[in-house]
Amino acid sequence: MTESLYKVITKEELSQFGYALRETGTIYAPVKTSKESHSFKQVDTLTEADLEYHRTMIPPKKFFISPKETIFTFNKEKEEYNETPAVNEPLVLFGVHPCDINALNLLAKVYLESFADKYYSERRENTTIIGISCTPDEYCFCKSTGTDYAREGFELFLHDIGDRYLVRVGSLKGYNLLQKHASLFREVTEKDLSLYRQAEKKRLASFTKSLEMSGLQDMLDMSYNSPIWEEYGEKCLSCGSCNLVCPRCRCYDVQDYIDLNLNTGQRERKWYSCMLKEHGLVAGGHNFRATSAERLRNRVNCKGSLKEDMTNCVGCGRCSVYCPAGIDYVEILQKIRGDIE
Amino acid sequence: MTESNPLSPMKARITEIQQMTDIEKLIKLRFQNKTDASNFKYMPGQFIKLGVMGVGEAPISICTSQSDEPGLELCIRNAGRVTKALHNLNVGNTIWIRGPYGNGFPMEAIEGKDLLLVAGGLGIAPIRGVLQYALHHRELFGEISFLYGVRCYDLMLFKDEILDYFRHGDEKGVKLYLSYEDESDKVCYDLSCERDDRCTQGMVTKLFSMLDSKSNNSVSLIGGPPIMYKFTVRELEKMGFQPDEVYMTLERRMRCGVGQCGHCIVGTGKSIKYVCKDGPVFTLWDAMNTKGMI
Repeated sequence: MTESLYKVITKEELSQFGYALRETGTIYAPVKTSKESHSFKQVDTLTEADLEYHRTMIPPKKFFISPKETIFTFNKEKEEYNETPAVNEPLVLFGVHPCDINALNLLAKVYLESFADKYYSERRENTTIIGISCTPDEYCFCKSTGTDYAREGFELFLHDIGDRYLVRVGSLKGYNLLQKHASLFREVTEKDLSLYRQAEKKRLASFTKSLEMSGLQDMLDMSYNSPIWEEYGEKCLSCGSCNLVCPRCRCYDVQDYIDLNLNTGQRERKWYSCMLKEHGLVAGGHNFRATSAERLRNRVNCKGSLKEDMTNCVGCGRCSVYCPAGIDYVEILQKIRGDIE
Repeated sequence: MTESNPLSPMKARITEIQQMTDIEKLIKLRFQNKTDASNFKYMPGQFIKLGVMGVGEAPISICTSQSDEPGLELCIRNAGRVTKALHNLNVGNTIWIRGPYGNGFPMEAIEGKDLLLVAGGLGIAPIRGVLQYALHHRELFGEISFLYGVRCYDLMLFKDEILDYFRHGDEKGVKLYLSYEDESDKVCYDLSCERDDRCTQGMVTKLFSMLDSKSNNSVSLIGGPPIMYKFTVRELEKMGFQPDEVYMTLERRMRCGVGQCGHCIVGTGKSIKYVCKDGPVFTLWDAMNTKGMI
């Protein structure tokens, strides 16, 4: 096989491709929902989507880990339970940014390694991810976290290079998709490559927010008893918004709900938040993270820790954008580093 | 547990219940499915998620060592919502199990060594499994010393076994040392008169003065409430134990047991651990590298 894994598609033809993708699955793309907010919503054609968006409020993790789902239903008298089958609807996630793709790769490590979660694995298998390049706004710092570029975890990735996109193939599924719609794509020319280089140069130069990551883990470790946690803990409302909007946060809770007949019911799994007071509470009443300062310290350390070569934070900026108390995650770490007072 | 979904439990039935103290019961159970029973292989220090449908699940450490006998023993303190429901069950009732989870104590790696076991309160549950394992494979280990600290006789767990080890342990291959906190405790006082070289009033750390000096081939395995670790570790360091010669089992809110739900997380950016998956057994060296562990 000598077929190139790099192609080009014009913006005009992209809408045709989008139309054709309906055969592959239900298409979800970023749609502008209010003046300052976007959401991954079902679309019929790509004209409904806003592909120049900065970020959606809720990240694409919602397609893989449902905010709330029934694991099984049970019947106490019959002493049995029935697992809820995984949903098999094929999906196309169109226009996913590199930070979110990298976050999904990290989530896959949690959900697919050692104890594979069938819901996650089947949903990922049934999903076609089409990534798209973006321009950073004042909250983006993915270049610092090394997650501004997606190397894997997608089927196709589109780089905006003017009136066309340079397309990278990221999986065999993506390759087959491209073959299926071959007439819409053409080979990369020298001119395209030059446009791609320019676009990347421009993108990389447009970051305004940055955070030095080198040595951060040790600085966090040595700042365990720093007054900074109290300072921000006092501002923090312990609302958990940062967890909901984080593309990497994946804490969940498991709870039983019993019906009024006191016999049947269901066990549910739902998104949970490490900023809520009950997160570290154990039977007997001891709470390992009783204060908001301790919980904030735990979250920042969890995000700042390394999973192999990547931090658990992908620099999307959501937690700072959507924090009702106005806490800026990067600012905390810049203080930990001593970069700002 | 099915391979497809780690959150699906196995059915078991309660075969026996012993009231051990006012708040602790020993519950024996047996898997209903033969395949579940034969697939259930565990090491001391591992734990299970024990569930009551409609109420929920709680992490419970296994207090036995794997043997040929079918079934499982669990020491359950009535401490929360789920354990309260467990205490209300009777022999014959159904109960749901997932696991075993966690790393357990590295019994094979410490073969050939002298063992210093230290347990406080409910921390005896996992340590009892270690002792059973070591006595079951007695020839594989050197000297075994077991320090057990209780508040008073009424709160002592596994009383018959403990008293048996106290009086006849030396013949069975374990030296048992007992400490009690309550000065007015008559039964414990009598025990201290019976063997003043093996029993004393005070915290469990007071027993260290009764021990011979550390051999150059020993490890310590400890289980107890968080406060016990700080003081016990200090004594062990005084005796000359290296940080990788001390193993301890930790308690956290372990909701899922499979390293996903995030509740049991501990540490800083330098080292984040899931107590359920990376532990619950950690060395003192792990604890030195992971702030907040003890």
